[in-house]
Amino acid sequence: MLPNRIYIIFKAAALLLLLCMAAPAFSQHLHGQVVDPQHTPIVGANVIWQGTTTGAVTDGNGNFGLSYADATTASIVVSFIGYRPDTISVAGKELITVVLQPATNIKEVVVEGQLQRLSAISPANSQLITNRDLEKSACCNLAESFETNASVEVSTTDAISGAKQIQMLGLDGAYTLLTTDNIPTLRGLATPYRLNYLSGTFIESIDIIKGMGSVLNGYESISGQVNVKLKDPDKTERLYLNLYGNSRAKFDANLNLSAQVTPKWSTVLMLHTDHLGNRVDRNNDGFMDLSLGTQYNVYNKWKYEHKDVMSEFGVNALQETRLGGQMEYEKREPEGPNQHFGTESGTDRISFYNKSSYTFPGKPYQSIGLITSAAHHKFNSLFGRRNYSGEQNSTTARLIFQSVIGHTGHTYKAGLSYTHDDYSERLSDTSFARTEQVPGAFLEYVYNNSKNLTVVAGSRVDLHNMYGTVFTPRLNVKFDATPNTIFRVAAGKGFRVANPLAENTAALVSSRRFVFREALQPEQAWNVGGSFTQYFELGGRPGAFITDYYYTTFQNQVVADMYSTPQLIAFYNLKGRSFSSSFQAELQYEALKGLEVKTAYKYYDVKSTYNGQLEQRPMIPQHRFFVNLGFATPFDKWRADLTTQYFGLMPLASMEQQHNADLSMRNSDQFFVLNGQITRALKRWDIYLGGENLLNYRQPSPILGAGDPFGPNFDASMVWGPITGRIIYAGLRFKIN
Amino acid sequence: MKNIKALIFTLTMLLASVSTQAQSQKKGEETVQIKTSAVCDMCKKTIEKAMAYEKGVISSNLDVKSQMLTVVYNGKKTNTDNIRKAVNATGYDADDKPAQERAYNRLDDCCKKEAGIH
Repeated sequence: MLPNRIYIIFKAAALLLLLCMAAPAFSQHLHGQVVDPQHTPIVGANVIWQGTTTGAVTDGNGNFGLSYADATTASIVVSFIGYRPDTISVAGKELITVVLQPATNIKEVVVEGQLQRLSAISPANSQLITNRDLEKSACCNLAESFETNASVEVSTTDAISGAKQIQMLGLDGAYTLLTTDNIPTLRGLATPYRLNYLSGTFIESIDIIKGMGSVLNGYESISGQVNVKLKDPDKTERLYLNLYGNSRAKFDANLNLSAQVTPKWSTVLMLHTDHLGNRVDRNNDGFMDLSLGTQYNVYNKWKYEHKDVMSEFGVNALQETRLGGQMEYEKREPEGPNQHFGTESGTDRISFYNKSSYTFPGKPYQSIGLITSAAHHKFNSLFGRRNYSGEQNSTTARLIFQSVIGHTGHTYKAGLSYTHDDYSERLSDTSFARTEQVPGAFLEYVYNNSKNLTVVAGSRVDLHNMYGTVFTPRLNVKFDATPNTIFRVAAGKGFRVANPLAENTAALVSSRRFVFREALQPEQAWNVGGSFTQYFELGGRPGAFITDYYYTTFQNQVVADMYSTPQLIAFYNLKGRSFSSSFQAELQYEALKGLEVKTAYKYYDVKSTYNGQLEQRPMIPQHRFFVNLGFATPFDKWRADLTTQYFGLMPLASMEQQHNADLSMRNSDQFFVLNGQITRALKRWDIYLGGENLLNYRQPSPILGAGDPFGPNFDASMVWGPITGRIIYAGLRFKIN
Repeated sequence: MKNIKALIFTLTMLLASVSTQAQSQKKGEETVQIKTSAVCDMCKKTIEKAMAYEKGVISSNLDVKSQMLTVVYNGKKTNTDNIRKAVNATGYDADDKPAQERAYNRLDDCCKKEAGIH
């Protein structure tokens, strides 16, 4: 009985196997073309068999070919950015023309996702910090947002204000262009404290582009671009509340409210306030470890969307006051023999922007956009006996036209821009003022062969009223050797007019005199670099390896020389070489289910010519190490994060008289910083508890000459490590979607 | 031969009795199947995550191909109406109940109905 049954089963199996093997013999190929309603071929459209991931991408003429052998159903799904995806039955067909209808509204393409933080699509080397990443670090300003990311460094500028600055490629934050929703913002005088001016709760995601980016946003970026995508009025939570408090008695409160006012209009109102009123001096140098401060920040965004027109308005107003210095210092303390050293500052800022675009009916690839913005920034500050105040009024306008040449494999953006900046600054008795008027034109061409090559070539010409014609060429190339192996090359030029006082505010908290040796020229630099990205799967879990190298060389730089003469900070134009050479290797891998590991090693060689001698730029470590462990239980109910950073030795400038002509320097110590956080998520509530600088490492005597702050050797600007020790914080988030 | 048959029979009965025992322990545990408008793996993630945070829901699974969502829940803590409402609140239809419009608009383009099952 049994053998008989087995025989039947075998026979059936053999028949089935035969059928399966025979199937491809019957199947044919499906060929077709994808076009738009005007019968323009669509290049790079995705065509897949429904229910599978197997498919093809249309070539330069919009053609594709598929094999029926890969099909599980006789339907294909055709999709392309800007068009409505379509599912088409192809039963029995060999040749087919697919007409894709344009999507009704075009949205900017943003690559998002939780695991894919490295964009595989962008032609530039970019990393994305998602909302989920933002929640990993302490609340509530932009500076803290970078703490779980290896590409951007955050450093403290001086020992008194505690202000934080970013660094990319080993270069000062001023060389990085900061944009919000792709509009340059917080430029010029706002640069030193700009990271405090955007609350983490305003932010949807952050895009970090290393090296040369697009020419569309102006000539200023040299080391990279950080684009902050603010919350979208029609996508964000209806209510979002975030409260935070830490062991230094710093409190933060954030509230976002959004509403769909009419079918066409939506709005989001974002409020932020923070306050620190507790004087703490844990290192017993007589100075507050952190400056006291209060900030009020309001951001309101409106969005209009109707058919082919989209418009967005935003207005931001902020006010901030700070007070730091010796523990006994009181506001507006009169000058006198027993005066305490103190710093005070008051900042008012208001800014506005509008972004409007019109997409041509039936041509989703063709649009015209106008971007305008205006900002008023004013501050008044006091550093000991030095008064420093400034005001900047800026207006910008940009007109961008975007279309294709023949088909979507060749696209271009062309446009005109105008920037007006009015600067006035006053340091003690000296005034500085300038007005920049810069009309410009730009063109960017994108070639995409729809398989594995993208070339972005752009250039812009600007007519600067003070410095003449500025030509800025830039090039980005992305080549996918395989879908998982990506090479990128970027090269280009950057140009910027430095604001030496604002960018060296930290040096005001010292007894160094500010000396301008000559009329300063704009800074110009070339940046060339590239990256290699390898995505992989190991043990069924995804990972990525990224390595990059960038070289920046300055034709001119405003050198802030604290080396050559003690008790001076001298400004002059670069005579000789100045460069930054940066290497980074990063590995990301989901080591265990739910446990993600990111490690990075960074090497920086950053040198400038100081008074004829090529020296390491101060306070940039040559070697850095970064490890981030992120653990999440299913559905993110519990999340835990641990970040360690190692900082190698950093060269420092000395205040003491040098005994020999050699610019012998002091070094910092090497140290580790450890941050961690645990979050518990409920349906509407998140509760988080964390710690910064858990190892409680502190820079020994961050303030030189603290005993005699009005004496010749006082210097609080040589900060290379944490000043505050361990900080424990807790907070909660409440959301209604 | 007969011995083997008897053994299999005994084993099956044993297993069945164990599982009925387990079921009687988790009294109130119910299962519902809901037809959704989910179209992709990302939708699956979104819906299953939303379910995980829903009161009374023990587990859930969405089959993208058939768009069927299977939810195991505690009948004492929630009911099928609540579960459907929760699906609607994430931007998806649940049986005859349409998705919340705002939630639907917030979905990524690839998760919208017109994208088709992919």
